Amino acid sequence: MKSIATALTLALTASALSAQTVRPDQVAFRALYKELVETNTSHSVGDCTLAATRMAARLKAAGFADADLNVFTPENLPLDGGLIATLRGSDQRKGAVMLLAHLDVVEARREDWVRDPFTLIEDGGYFYARGAADDKAQAAIWTDAMARLKAAGAKPRRTIKLVLSCGEESLPRINNIRWLIEKHPDWIKADFALNEGGGGTLDASGRPESLGFQAGEKTTANFQIEATNPGGHSSVPRPDNAIYALSDALSRAGRYEFPIRFNDVTRSYFTELGRISGGEMGAAMVRLVANPDDQAANAIVSKNPEFHSMLRTTCVATLIEGGHAINALPQRARASVNCRMAPGDRAEDVQAQLVKAVGDAPVSVTRLPPVNPANPPPPLTAEVYGTAKRVAAQHWPGVPMLPQMLTGATDGRFLIQAGIPTYGVPGAFSEPLSGMHGLNERRSVAGLMAERDYLFDLVKAYAGVK
Amino acid sequence: MKTFVMLAALLGAAPVLAADLRPDQQAFRALYKELVETNTTLSAGSCTDAAAKMAVRLKAAGFADTDMTPFATPEKPREGGMVAILKGSDAKAKPMLLLAHIDVVEAKREDWTRDPFTLIEEGGYFYARGAADDKSMAAVWVDTLIRLKQAGAKPKRSIKLALTCGEETTYAFNGAEWLAKNRPALIAAEFALNEGGGGVNDANGKPIFLAMQVGEKASQNYTLEVTNPGGHSSRPVPENAIYRLAAAVTKVGGYDFPVALNPTTKAFFTGMSPIMGGEAGKAMTALVANPNDAAANALVSSDASFHSMLRTTCVATLLDAGHANNALPQRARANINCRIAPGGTLESVQADLARVIGDPKVSITPVPPLRPIAVNPPLDPKITGPANAVAAKYFPGVPLLPLMSTGATDAIFLTGIPTYGVPGIMGDRDGGGVHGLNERMGVQSLYRGRDYLFDLVKVYAGIK
Repeated sequence: MKSIATALTLALTASALSAQTVRPDQVAFRALYKELVETNTSHSVGDCTLAATRMAARLKAAGFADADLNVFTPENLPLDGGLIATLRGSDQRKGAVMLLAHLDVVEARREDWVRDPFTLIEDGGYFYARGAADDKAQAAIWTDAMARLKAAGAKPRRTIKLVLSCGEESLPRINNIRWLIEKHPDWIKADFALNEGGGGTLDASGRPESLGFQAGEKTTANFQIEATNPGGHSSVPRPDNAIYALSDALSRAGRYEFPIRFNDVTRSYFTELGRISGGEMGAAMVRLVANPDDQAANAIVSKNPEFHSMLRTTCVATLIEGGHAINALPQRARASVNCRMAPGDRAEDVQAQLVKAVGDAPVSVTRLPPVNPANPPPPLTAEVYGTAKRVAAQHWPGVPMLPQMLTGATDGRFLIQAGIPTYGVPGAFSEPLSGMHGLNERRSVAGLMAERDYLFDLVKAYAGVK
Repeated sequence: MKTFVMLAALLGAAPVLAADLRPDQQAFRALYKELVETNTTLSAGSCTDAAAKMAVRLKAAGFADTDMTPFATPEKPREGGMVAILKGSDAKAKPMLLLAHIDVVEAKREDWTRDPFTLIEEGGYFYARGAADDKSMAAVWVDTLIRLKQAGAKPKRSIKLALTCGEETTYAFNGAEWLAKNRPALIAAEFALNEGGGGVNDANGKPIFLAMQVGEKASQNYTLEVTNPGGHSSRPVPENAIYRLAAAVTKVGGYDFPVALNPTTKAFFTGMSPIMGGEAGKAMTALVANPNDAAANALVSSDASFHSMLRTTCVATLLDAGHANNALPQRARANINCRIAPGGTLESVQADLARVIGDPKVSITPVPPLRPIAVNPPLDPKITGPANAVAAKYFPGVPLLPLMSTGATDAIFLTGIPTYGVPGIMGDRDGGGVHGLNERMGVQSLYRGRDYLFDLVKVYAGIK
């Protein structure tokens, strides 16, 4: 019911938009967005460099000099390139603001989709295509903002750097952000960066309910729990058994709940959400912020898996394997445990807690590579967060903004590690059936246009464009 | 330390020099060597070759081509075998069947101290893959037929020999099964003699007891499975396929099936009691008298082999779940390998597992092959009597115990043919590397076992 109601509302809005109120700048934006979406940038057969080159051409047409357009490709990876475009600021004392988006998309097979995933198709108020939302909506909005500012002869106080990167989705061959940090840190120097990861929620009738401003994310760490045993023939079982040892350990680890660990972002998030949502859940959120040891409040809030994960480090067994033959006692059994560490938790502490959780089960707990950066959330400064709120009040009056910590991961974790506070800007409301990473990805036309308007104003505000 | 002890034991054993061998032993050794050195692993070997080589030896000893039936299916040309017959004189006497498998477990040269497919005699032992399991018996049976033929022996009952492939590998072509289904007349017999018996030597190579296998447990695998919608691992939910499976597996691991004695195991523990002596011996007697004696059960069951002989066992052998380290598992599976004691059935053990696990969200499915549960042969005096009598000559004072094998042999396929694992070829307490590394066979044990089995076959067959 919810999806039908929402779709209906948006569809009506969208048809009204396309019939009557498409502005010339929106027509230009749509052409840019279409070109970007229709440039296949999937890992298997796509070409990020081509997408970067096409965006650079549009910026050049808007007036950018070649010197300010840097289409880069990592060594020996001609298809995995990106673009850095620079709009120079007038105030040399101020650092740049970075507009970050990734060009690459998750794989999509034509036979699995209702429509061709690499053709932008507008249908019932939605743009359908792979990348229509993740993350080409944002990449198009940033590129379009740069082009409009340049064409208008805007004089920002801060330098604005557009960074379109490749390899975010699965680090298939290379992650441009890691490569840039390592090889060309000067290219991406900035005071702060605006990224994906923020958003917002819609109410049951499809109207904006809240805006999400992402500051910080959890860090992934994988551990292996392993049991070994001399084994033997399965017709003569011995009392100790690698599979039983592992099962015992996993049962205990599965029951273990990491302690609540608030940070500024989640404290603020639950305080404001508690106030907005009210009821039993809202009251519990407020109580929990006041007292993280409130077990009753914890039980209510943690019933929601997303809240549960935002409140603490979580660890969950995702893979297990054991034994080598159907008729032999197992010599080895092991599990991969995927942990999402709350900011401030350290892998060593998480490991120590896992060791304690498995107790006397005869297993080893070891950390698996890769070691991901673990960062505190970037600060919610008045300049960054206050400005986002202030500009939002003009676009969505009365819609509250909440700071959010992601339970998943973005390229922000690398930039924050490199000293660039990175935020997921709001504006892209979570829509039903978004198809992100899945089938029939889509973005509502009206929602995208509204997001674009907000972000354009937000960039101007950050950069000091009059 | 263990190595030094073994060395002492080996030094104690009188070396068997080639010069000391009787001519018939030298001939046997050559046959055994040829069989062992013919690789019969599933991966790279050929049972068909090995059977053909044995047929050549039988023919040279005087067997007519019509008395030998090599077999192999077109689909599995390397997994063949052979049936031979030495005809009896008394048409009323039913035949007896000598059964041995000629396939062996895989063996990698780099893992072994010596080449596993070269018969190497060292320190009183033959080392090779199959030196014990089961080419010792296969060689003894072929050698027995050769000697009887050469001697012009006139058995009352026909003596049939079946050399088969595929015993070691659950999913391989099984020659015994194929013969029972496709050539039942060829192997029809009143009883069959097979592997599974033997006996155990102490550390000094001195026989502790002889064993005649009378019955065995049945092997049946079950899959435990839990499914779940899954999701992203950054948002764990309480319901998790791995944790649910782990809880089920833990329960299986904590469950001990009740003691289930049968005539064979009763006789075994009764006979074993004085051999063990002490508290353990007393506990065996007490347990036979009262299977509910918890203290006796605990004491006897502290030995893993006895524990398995006393009951059905189920143990987790394989575990598998999940599809990505950043995704919640959608499916979790474990294999439970059960060894069903006589009296249990596939269905009864499945019901027991379901009761123990007590979680309807864990599915329990029997894994093919769903093999027949062996009907245990009786402790027939016509079989045990001669085995005891001949043992008195070769193993004076060594008790002969009936043994229920905790593993499965090809006997399960020989429906209607009571099958006994004969005593005589003694092994070491440590298992002698069977199925493992550096498999070995005591030289003295093999020669003495051969002498014993030759005489035993003659008694069973009615050869004067």
